[in-house]
Amino acid sequence: MSQAPAPASAGGREPLPTAAPEAPARSSSGHGLSVGRLLSGIPALVPAAIVVAMVVVLLEKSQLELLPGFFSSDWNPSIAHPQYGIGVFVAGSFMTAIPAIALAMAIGLGIGIGGTTYLPRNVSRLLDPFVDLLAGIPSVVYGIWGFVVVGPYFGAVTNPWLYSHLHFLPGFGGIPPQASGQGLPLAIFLLTLMALPITTLLIRDALRSVPKDLWESGLALGATRWEVMRRVAIPYSRRGILSAGFLGFGRAFGETVAVAMVIGSVASFPANVFGTTYTMAAVIFQTVDAAQGSSNYLQALAEIALILLAISLVVNIVGRRLITGFSSEQISGL
Amino acid sequence: MSAPAAATDGSVLSVRNLSVVAKEHRILDDISLDFPPHSLTAVVGPSGCGKTTFVRTLNRMSELTPGLRVEGSVLYLGQDIYGRGVNPVLVRRRIGMVFQRPTVFPMSIFENAAFGLRIVHEAEADIDTAVTEALQRAGLWDEVKGDLDRSAMSLSGGQQQRLCIARALAVRPRVLLLDEPTSALDPAATQRVESTMERLSEEIVLVLVTHNVGQAARVSDRVAFLHSGHLVELGPTDEILERPKDPLTQQFITGRFG
Amino acid sequence: MTTVLSPHPDLDDNILFDRSARTRWRIGFDRWIGRLLPLLFLVAILPILGMVYWVSEQALPTLTWTIIVGQSPYATDQLGVPIIGTFELMLIATLLSVVLGLFGGVATAELLSPRAASVVRMTANMLVGTPSVIIGFFGFFVFVLYFGWGLSLIAGAVTLSMFMTPYIFRTADLAFTSVPRHIREAALGSGAAPTQYILRIATPIALPQILTGIFLAMAIGVGETAPIVLTTTAGKLAPTSLTSPVTFLTAIIWDGFNQGSGSPFFVLAFQAAFLLMVVVVALNIVVRVVAARYQKRLEGLYQ
Repeated sequence: MSQAPAPASAGGREPLPTAAPEAPARSSSGHGLSVGRLLSGIPALVPAAIVVAMVVVLLEKSQLELLPGFFSSDWNPSIAHPQYGIGVFVAGSFMTAIPAIALAMAIGLGIGIGGTTYLPRNVSRLLDPFVDLLAGIPSVVYGIWGFVVVGPYFGAVTNPWLYSHLHFLPGFGGIPPQASGQGLPLAIFLLTLMALPITTLLIRDALRSVPKDLWESGLALGATRWEVMRRVAIPYSRRGILSAGFLGFGRAFGETVAVAMVIGSVASFPANVFGTTYTMAAVIFQTVDAAQGSSNYLQALAEIALILLAISLVVNIVGRRLITGFSSEQISGL
Repeated sequence: MSAPAAATDGSVLSVRNLSVVAKEHRILDDISLDFPPHSLTAVVGPSGCGKTTFVRTLNRMSELTPGLRVEGSVLYLGQDIYGRGVNPVLVRRRIGMVFQRPTVFPMSIFENAAFGLRIVHEAEADIDTAVTEALQRAGLWDEVKGDLDRSAMSLSGGQQQRLCIARALAVRPRVLLLDEPTSALDPAATQRVESTMERLSEEIVLVLVTHNVGQAARVSDRVAFLHSGHLVELGPTDEILERPKDPLTQQFITGRFG
Repeated sequence: MTTVLSPHPDLDDNILFDRSARTRWRIGFDRWIGRLLPLLFLVAILPILGMVYWVSEQALPTLTWTIIVGQSPYATDQLGVPIIGTFELMLIATLLSVVLGLFGGVATAELLSPRAASVVRMTANMLVGTPSVIIGFFGFFVFVLYFGWGLSLIAGAVTLSMFMTPYIFRTADLAFTSVPRHIREAALGSGAAPTQYILRIATPIALPQILTGIFLAMAIGVGETAPIVLTTTAGKLAPTSLTSPVTFLTAIIWDGFNQGSGSPFFVLAFQAAFLLMVVVVALNIVVRVVAARYQKRLEGLYQ
């Protein structure tokens, strides 16, 4: 086993080095506050500046006051006395992202375990790029594929089947699903596919970084591969797996365009699991145009944006913190 | 524990014409030897002589490396572990292994030791007694009996290694393979592992890979000297170390290479 | 290869042939799950293949060179204008984000104190995880309204660059931190000034990784819709100045969707999607090739 660390190559598609130099232990090249150093340090502040600026601008636009009825679910910006209750959007964002990340984690775990443990190295090397390619497809393409190809299938086959078999369950009954297929199931389906590369990649990396000795010790005790995986490797990789969950959730939660195309864009709670609704990201995207005339409308959108931003930031920070070491963090493209 | 009876030819473990081939390169060539009950055989040799590969074929761990072909047979109590229908999972329960670095699992001391028993769903009471017994045999009991629910990570290196030995012993193997178990330990910890090994060799068969000739001298009954995949010489420890017959053995013992 | 000299009378040690139900179940389960789990790869592979196949199927039959190149402002079936639009947006955005990201990343890796560096890294990570619509929304307020650029090429490009910069930033940061310690210490220890070290020694080593990051950021940028849609407006002609409206490939797809399958734009949307996918796949392949070369080179550093 060579000592050379594999690079964070192909946007992190290859396993990243555990032997990467630790950033925190590194001292800077020199000390002293020369003008040159100050100047060249400025670009480093750009991300921070952007983040701060975003928060400031959004806060300013929201005029630091909550519009009345903000937490209700009545969203009616176009009537004479407009209402800006965002309940629907918050619920919609969670209702789409949570099932999606649950599915993406389950499938990601399966692929991660299957690829690292049960497939020969060269086969899994061959299949991994396909999963990564899922991440590269633009979300508009997901949306249009989802709407034109998958939607009708859901609308004609999957949803009616589920409806007819499960309508006695709470949440499954009521209004029959739409023929277009738009609604929660389709959105969740797309979000799962979009979160899958993140979960698979991070879980795979976490499992691959289990030391070989540890793995072999389990086998040497007469355990099957599954038993070692379940009782040793997965507990060992807990942090990496959790971070996959957080970061994948962040992705699903913030996804805008694809969801906008298939969720139905209706500002009301879905009637049942097949229903149409709206998410925070989608409503901002689709109504900025209409909101231009009214400062209250923009204010409401800015407040939605603030909430969306806050949740995203928290999820991302927690997710990144969980990944031990500098190396795994630098998975560009995620 | 009942005294292990042997197969007809007297040994618990026998190797017959064992060769390991990778692509065109013979890593091990036609090795045959027996391991008698209650013995500690040290396998020594220069780096790259194949001693680790050899020991890994004894419990079918060699299969984890793709591309290796095993020829010949390894007989456990007269039965070929490479025979048809023999699952390696079963082999490894009777032929245990301890690795170079301590490899404790991320769980409590108790759960580590109980691991091999949990996977076969042994009764809780049996697990308790087995864990206690194993920790005693490994010489770790006195140091940990106060709190078995502590995380295994909180133990020192030497203690962790003895926990790994206890973990292997808990499933009551008749053979224990040890691949340089003390190379990562300090002298005090090494000494304790060595005395554990000496004690265990009165109960079961131990096969110890070591690059430390002094260690072989201290703990083993017999020494097998490997060179370039061949078994050059095999015999009682005193004889091999003081009166080696083969010049290669002589060179190794006197530190010419390895 | 079975040599059974004389099976041991102690039943416990016919363990090699244990046929108890429990053992059979354990081994069987392991075997079956080993067959089922890899099948899950299909969950990822089938949709990809499906998407690629379907987009190609919709786009290719009617795709002609004229469609790609034509710039007639009122034609509903030509992509020349949006292609130029995407190209110009990407050009400006990439330049800007490379400059900011590269300098920022190098500064973080080499010039900042460890504590400052970890704070900066955290903000870069926060930015990466921000939903693109929020960046677009922010860009709308700041560049379109406050700076007064209006819905324009420059507003779109700068907003896009805010989205792309953190990716390049992080890659540059990692690339320079991954320079083997002994090389860095040898250089600095022999009296090289930090800038000399950065320019002459670290950059060549870090370059492939940086390129990887840039191509990846480009692949992401070219596929983005929200940040740009919010900050630009569709123009009929190729943009003539920084403040002119611009239309671009992802907008074509979005418009096509909005107008529904009856509209002539719908087919055009597929052709735009096809071209986009070609670009994205091509960039991904380039990234892999560069990464593979990088791996070989880096191994040499550790000899």
